[in-house]
Amino acid sequence: MNAALETLYKRRSIRQYTGQPVSEELMTELLKAAMAAPSACNSQPWEFVAVTEPAAMERLREALRYGRYNAPAAIAVCANPALALNSCARLFWQQDCSAALQNILIAATSLGLGSVWIGVYPVQYLIDAVRVALELPEEVTPLGVGYIGYPAEEKPPRTQFDERRVHWQTYRKTES
Amino acid sequence: MSAILEAIFRRRSIRKYEEKPVPKDLLLQLLQAAMAGPSAHNGRPWEFVVITDEATMAKLRSHLKYGKHNAPAAIAVCYNPAIASSPSSKRWWVQDCAAALENMLIAAPGLGLGAVWIGIYPKASSVKLVRRILGLPPEVTPFGLVYTGFPAEEKPPRTQFEESRVHWEHF
Repeated sequence: MNAALETLYKRRSIRQYTGQPVSEELMTELLKAAMAAPSACNSQPWEFVAVTEPAAMERLREALRYGRYNAPAAIAVCANPALALNSCARLFWQQDCSAALQNILIAATSLGLGSVWIGVYPVQYLIDAVRVALELPEEVTPLGVGYIGYPAEEKPPRTQFDERRVHWQTYRKTES
Repeated sequence: MSAILEAIFRRRSIRKYEEKPVPKDLLLQLLQAAMAGPSAHNGRPWEFVVITDEATMAKLRSHLKYGKHNAPAAIAVCYNPAIASSPSSKRWWVQDCAAALENMLIAAPGLGLGAVWIGIYPKASSVKLVRRILGLPPEVTPFGLVYTGFPAEEKPPRTQFEESRVHWEHF
């Protein structure tokens, strides 16, 4: 199988991690992958908060009701309209930031790291809690957080390909 | 460098394509990549319409202001709340569909394909157009299109990494 596809299948949501910290070098690799993502009209509306200190991780975990996993590191993908290079970001920032976050998860897999996507936007109380935990200014919106660390659980590679979800040429309702 | 990092950096928006059609097998591999994407609570709220028919491609090209490129094929990523296996998809479907779409873009270079993301949702006029051209029922929302084909332009791999966009531990 194609090596890239293999990694896409290996990316599974990992919720148990070993205590081993993630080096700044690997975190930087992940950030490079994030900023290789496409964005509408190349507006790059994103900013990132990389968290590796235990106390900072603890604050983040506290903020995220659905993120109580023991990952030693995280990257919060945020949108900052003031940094966007053009107005396309107004409509598409959520998608741009999602592509960047997905790139982080995939890159992590290939570096031997586990990861899981913790959704934040559009749930207001999560946005507020993350804003406090990471000291984000009002104009910066957290889209989501990628938890990162060395996996302490194993999951087999998979795709959830389902041919009933695929229509050829035009849409036809499938029997359910 | 790992194959996937290479693919991530090689993923560039390709806007010029060879006339050659894309074999079905490669389109299926893109769809397998798409459906390996994560989704909130594993809701998988997605459906896909694959277009290789030149008449339909021509309609998309002539109506979509930002989709004039000569790709021989396209895959529309759509949201269908009725098939989502979790009610949380209502909140997260945009992000779920974006991850699926990004997976296809990353899978493309390894298959020898070029690709470009054509944004549709939430632009009301584009949503309406694509819905009409692809015959989508009202409950199905077109999220975005991947145009794909064999590339007729070359772009160097890159990241747009910028240190100033990174904060450590807190903002």
